[in-house]
Amino acid sequence: MDSIAHPTQRQFNPYSDNGGTILAIAGADFTVIAGDTRQSEGYSIQTRYAPKVFPLTDRAVLAVNGFAADGNMFVKKVKQRLEWYRHAHSKDMPLRAIARLIQTMLYARRFFPFYVYNILGGIEEDGTGAVYSFDPVGSYEREACRAAGAAQSLVQPFLDNQIYFNNQQPAPGTSHPVHLPLPTILSIVIDSFTGATERHIEVGDGLEMYVVLAKGRGVQGLEDVRGVQELSVTEEGERIFVIRRDLKKD
Amino acid sequence: MFLTRSEYDRGVNTFSPEGRLFQVEYAIEAIKLGSTTVGICTPEGVVLAVEKRVQSPLLESSAIEKIMEIDRHLGCAMSGLTADARTMIDHARVTAQNHAFTYDEKIKVESVTQAVCDLALRFGESVHDEEAMMSRPFGVALLVAGIDEEGPQLYHTDPSGTFMRYDAKAIGSGSEAAQSELQDKWYKRISLFEAQKLSLRVLKQVMEEKLDHHNVQLAQVTPETGFEILNEVKLKEIIDAM
Amino acid sequence: MSALEYNGGSVIAMVGKDCVAIASDLRLGTQALGISSNFQRVFPMTDRLYVGLPGLGTDVTTLYERFRYRVNMYTIKEEREINPETFAHMVSSTLYQHRFGPYFIEPVVAGLSKSPTGALKPFIAAMDLIGCINFAKDFVVAGTASSKLYGVAEGLWEPDLEPEDLFETISQTLLNAVDRDAFSGWGAVVHVITKDRVISRTLKARMD
Repeated sequence: MDSIAHPTQRQFNPYSDNGGTILAIAGADFTVIAGDTRQSEGYSIQTRYAPKVFPLTDRAVLAVNGFAADGNMFVKKVKQRLEWYRHAHSKDMPLRAIARLIQTMLYARRFFPFYVYNILGGIEEDGTGAVYSFDPVGSYEREACRAAGAAQSLVQPFLDNQIYFNNQQPAPGTSHPVHLPLPTILSIVIDSFTGATERHIEVGDGLEMYVVLAKGRGVQGLEDVRGVQELSVTEEGERIFVIRRDLKKD
Repeated sequence: MFLTRSEYDRGVNTFSPEGRLFQVEYAIEAIKLGSTTVGICTPEGVVLAVEKRVQSPLLESSAIEKIMEIDRHLGCAMSGLTADARTMIDHARVTAQNHAFTYDEKIKVESVTQAVCDLALRFGESVHDEEAMMSRPFGVALLVAGIDEEGPQLYHTDPSGTFMRYDAKAIGSGSEAAQSELQDKWYKRISLFEAQKLSLRVLKQVMEEKLDHHNVQLAQVTPETGFEILNEVKLKEIIDAM
Repeated sequence: MSALEYNGGSVIAMVGKDCVAIASDLRLGTQALGISSNFQRVFPMTDRLYVGLPGLGTDVTTLYERFRYRVNMYTIKEEREINPETFAHMVSSTLYQHRFGPYFIEPVVAGLSKSPTGALKPFIAAMDLIGCINFAKDFVVAGTASSKLYGVAEGLWEPDLEPEDLFETISQTLLNAVDRDAFSGWGAVVHVITKDRVISRTLKARMD
């Protein structure tokens, strides 16, 4: 019998975790940026198709993972800044400039962060494939490959092994390749996501892989890929393609 | 004077019935009192040259600064009320550094010029009943020289906030004679060294004093070394070769 | 911090063609501080049966001694070698006896079991700290690097690997997983159990 009202404390939690995983790998003259399309909250699936990978310019693609509301808003804000930049400087923002911009935008919210892990992929001004990865408050670095999100711990060590050849001895008189060919990387990406889908409940439903090709690079490595869709309008300059695959829905 | 100009030359943001802003026009006049300044664009870089009027033999001539660095890849020469130029160059420097901070790349020459010109039109601006930050137009013209991904470029700005790109441009008291001389002598593939000599030759023609390394200043922006004010030794070499 | 993660360490077991493999790192630490780079947590129970005991260091020793005693008693009383399945259930029931005050160990069992016909069949199993058994057909993992081990194993493992290929697969899986785990690593040991011998190798690993 409580007849006296006790003071109760209530707290609004502005964040939630919407699961999913993203991943990007850089080649010599191309980059693959991928993400699954499941969006969940706790044990519930909100939707089986919520894109986490977004083309920004002709040569930059951004993958966002974490709190979906923040992620979508962040992409919107980055796109707005890219538009302003186009007007102010009459050119598309180069990849490394986008990377730095993302850092300043994230750090501007140092004390109420966007709860998002970002991976930026694309083609650098010198024509090389590049991947930039960020933490939610803007620490960033350029890398050859990176996984983030719910299944980061599952995928990243697999990538260390398959991309960086960690713990592998090259055959005598040979050395490990610095960059892998596109078909190899696509199969590593697919294997990573099927593996993550198998073992992580927040990963699955669909897979979207964006491929950015450097200026003047042919489509070699993409000809035999099922269901490739080109997003770029011209064949001059960098070209962007998207490849979609089903992942298990259970 | 008042009859012809009526009362419309008082307010900085009042058009005359003919559609003119007299204060801006007067500011442009002020530049014509300034020392002659020359800029020349070449495929190898941009050259800036100024006349330093040493009004008194007691004046330390090295203290006259009419060419300033904006960023490693950007330089600027001025003519007119040089005190006003400091405000503009401060703004240009902040803009350039902010761009590098935010985008990890060098700002374009046109963009930094645009930023300076945006500032040039801020006179008379006030919010509610607050005092306006700037009461009058700047009384100075700038030659902004720089190199970016589009190559060496030279821009001219005036107090109206207008900016234009030039292959070669002269401003200040001797600008008319200097400009026609530049028009005669400039050619597309002019070398940096030729441009250095040409700029001094043009200055020499419009200067009252005899040109020497004390009363001129020469600077350049090149892809190799960026912005640099030529030291006495280099300046003397060019004067001798002239 | 959980007692399961206090000392660090990870174990993995995989099934191959007529063989099984079990592997573990060699680190013992107290939280972030490394103490030993030669801490064994995989033990032979019979000639063709190994058990891995990742978890709290003190319980590794205690449980190993307990299982050694129980297996010896079983061998003497039954006058036969214990089967991997039987051993797994023995481990499980031992853990469940301490349902409300558990040993902080998640054991992994790997061995070749003798079917009634006399043929040897690969057997692996893993348990949580209160003895819930996971009989897997492919691979099992446990320890502080378990999520990493799952990810790599899911990508590298395939059915019917010969002993040498199984050795390579389990070694690569373990090494690359523990390299991404701050609490595991500092060397590794691998045992491949085949019908006529056990191949045991100690692996060099990153020491950071």
